[in-house]
Amino acid sequence: MPQPIADIYLPRQARVEQIVAENSQIATFVLAFCDRSYNDGFRYQPGQFMLVSMPHCGEAPISISSTATRPGNIHLSVRRAGKLTHAMHGLRVSDTLGLRGPYGRPFPMEQLAGRDLLFVAGGIGLAPLRAVVDTCLDQRDRFGALTVLYGSRTPSDIAFQGDLELWRKQGVDCRLTVDAAEPGWDGPVGLVTALLDDLAPELDKSTALICGPPLMFRAVLGKLAAMGFGDHQVLTTMERHMKCGVGICRHCHMDGKLACVDGPVFSLAELRKLKILELDG
Amino acid sequence: MVHAAAATHSHLLKKDHLKGFLRKLAKEYRLVAPVRNRHSDVLFTVIDDLDAAEIELTEPPQNSLKQFFLPQQERLYTYTTTAEGYDFQPVQATIPPTVYFGVHPCDLSAVLYMDVVFSRHQRDPFYLRRRQGSVLIGVNCNSPAPNCFCNATGSGPFLEMGSDLQLTDLGDRFLVEIGRAPGQALIERWQVFFSPSADKDRAAHYQTFLEARGRFSRQVHVEQAIRQLEADTVPEQVWTELSLRCQDCGGCAYLCPTCTCFTISDQQLDDAGGQRLRSWDACTFAGFTAMAGGHNPVQAKTGAIRQRFTHKLRDDVRQNGRPSCVGCGRCVGICFGGTDIVRFVERACQGSL
Repeated sequence: MPQPIADIYLPRQARVEQIVAENSQIATFVLAFCDRSYNDGFRYQPGQFMLVSMPHCGEAPISISSTATRPGNIHLSVRRAGKLTHAMHGLRVSDTLGLRGPYGRPFPMEQLAGRDLLFVAGGIGLAPLRAVVDTCLDQRDRFGALTVLYGSRTPSDIAFQGDLELWRKQGVDCRLTVDAAEPGWDGPVGLVTALLDDLAPELDKSTALICGPPLMFRAVLGKLAAMGFGDHQVLTTMERHMKCGVGICRHCHMDGKLACVDGPVFSLAELRKLKILELDG
Repeated sequence: MVHAAAATHSHLLKKDHLKGFLRKLAKEYRLVAPVRNRHSDVLFTVIDDLDAAEIELTEPPQNSLKQFFLPQQERLYTYTTTAEGYDFQPVQATIPPTVYFGVHPCDLSAVLYMDVVFSRHQRDPFYLRRRQGSVLIGVNCNSPAPNCFCNATGSGPFLEMGSDLQLTDLGDRFLVEIGRAPGQALIERWQVFFSPSADKDRAAHYQTFLEARGRFSRQVHVEQAIRQLEADTVPEQVWTELSLRCQDCGGCAYLCPTCTCFTISDQQLDDAGGQRLRSWDACTFAGFTAMAGGHNPVQAKTGAIRQRFTHKLRDDVRQNGRPSCVGCGRCVGICFGGTDIVRFVERACQGSL
C-alpha cells in the first residue's frame, strides 16, 4: 500500500478573536485555529505567510504580522486590495475563515543576531516587519539597536500606531513621515528615504529590512547603497500573486525563483541575480 | 546503450498476441491507450470495449497523458458556509489502477518530469494518487511525425528508462524491454503471451533505432537556445516580436504535456457552500501574475513569453539537468501566431549558428 499523502491544500478552520482597525484600509485580524491542539502546536517564523480562504473567494497569501514568541494567536494585517481582502474586512469577531501554512523562507533571525536592525517600511509593508520587530523585542539581548522608519500617505493613514507606541517605550527608535500633512501633524513630510539622512548606522553591524511599494523600494535601495550598505546587508520580502504556496503552481515566478519557496524573504544580493521588475522598472 | 539494455531484459510479443495481452490487462486495470475515433482523431482514451477500439501506435495522439494525472479541472474540496462556520470537506475519489499503453517517449518523459514537479517541494496528493498504481507501457517511435524534435530534447525517439515496459515495433512482433518491477510482474504473470528474444531480434531493434533517428524532418537547435538563454544573449527584439504575435490563447500550454501551471478558484454552488477547483492555467495569460488591486510584477506580454521559454529551456535545465520541452511538437501544430517553441529556438539562434 502506498503511504498516505498529507492533504497539503486543505484549509483549517480558524476563528477571529479580535480585530484591530489600523487605519481606514488596514485591519489586523487576531486568529486562532478552532482545533485547540493544532493551535497550541502551531509554529512559524517571522517572514512566513499563510494562505487565507474566504467563502467563494479562493485563497490569498498574507504574511504573518505576529511573532511565534507569543504563541496562541496568529495576526494577519490586511489591506483592502481585492475581492478576498474586502471580504475579510467584513469579518466580525467569532467569524471563521480558512488557513493553511505557514509557508515560505523566513527572515534569517540567526544571522541577524547581534546586529543593529534598520526597518524601512511604507504602508502595509510594516506588517511582515512587525513580526521581526516583536521577535527581537521578545529576545531583546540577542539583537542590537532597533530603528523603524515608517512612511504613510497622510497622518490618518498611519497604521500600527499602538505598536509604534509600544516599540518606542521599549527603546525602538521609531521615526515616521507622511506624503501629505494634515492639520495637527508636526512631523516630517516627504519620502521615507529622507528619514535615512538623519541616521548614522554602524555599517559593519547593521542590516536593513525593507518592505513597501515598488517605488519606495527602489528609492530606499538607492539611498542605502549610497550610505554604504552592501547587497548582503539588505533584506526584503516580495509580494507576488500565489495559488498553491508550495512551489508547484508557479504563479509567483521570479526569473527562475519562486517567491513562495525560495522567498518571500530575499537578500538584495539574491535579487540582483534576477531579472525582476522591482529592480529593473 | 540501447542495444545493451535490450540484450539484458527483452522478450518478444507477437502482434497476434497483443489484443489477448491487453484483454488480460483490462480485466484488472483501467486501460488507456491512443485510439483512433470515428472522426479519425487519435486521442488517449479510456478503453471500455477493447474489440471496438482501434489502437493507433504510430501517429502521435493529439492529447498527452497530462489530463489523466492533472485533469483540466478537478474538484479539490467542497466547502460549507453555515451558522457553525466555514469549513472544507475532502472529496472522496477512487482512482482505478490504470495501465497507460502505447505511450510515446515524449509523453513518457513528460510524466517523469511531472513526477518531479509534483513531489519536489511538497508531495501533491491529487497528482500522486492518480500516479500511484499507474503502469506505463511505452512504445518507441519508429517514424517521428513532421513536427517532432524529441531527438533535440533528449527524450526520444527511443526511451531507455522510465516506463514499466517498453515496446519496439519490429514488424510482426514487438521487442519488449522491462523497465521497472511492475513491468517484470506483468510479464511473469502473463508469460504465455511472451517468448524470449533472440540475437536477431535485438539486432533488428538496434537497426530500427538507427533508422528512426535518421527520420526527423526538423533540425531544432535546442541546446543552442539553452546556451543563449543561460548567457542572456537572446536579443530583446526576439521577445518583443514573439510577444506581439502571441494571441494569448493558451493553446500551447494546454496541449503541452509538461505545462503544469494551475490555478485554484472557488465556485459557489448555493447559499450554503460551493467547491474549490484546480484548473489548468498558462503563464502566458496576462492575468497569471497580476495581484489584487491590479499591480503586475511581470511585464504583461514580453515578460510572460520570456517566462514560458526561459522556464522550459533554462530554469528546468538548471534544476533537473534537462529541458522540460520533450519535443512532441504539439505546440507547433496548434500555434497560429508563430510563437511556438520551435520558432523561438529558431529566432533565438539566428545569427549565432
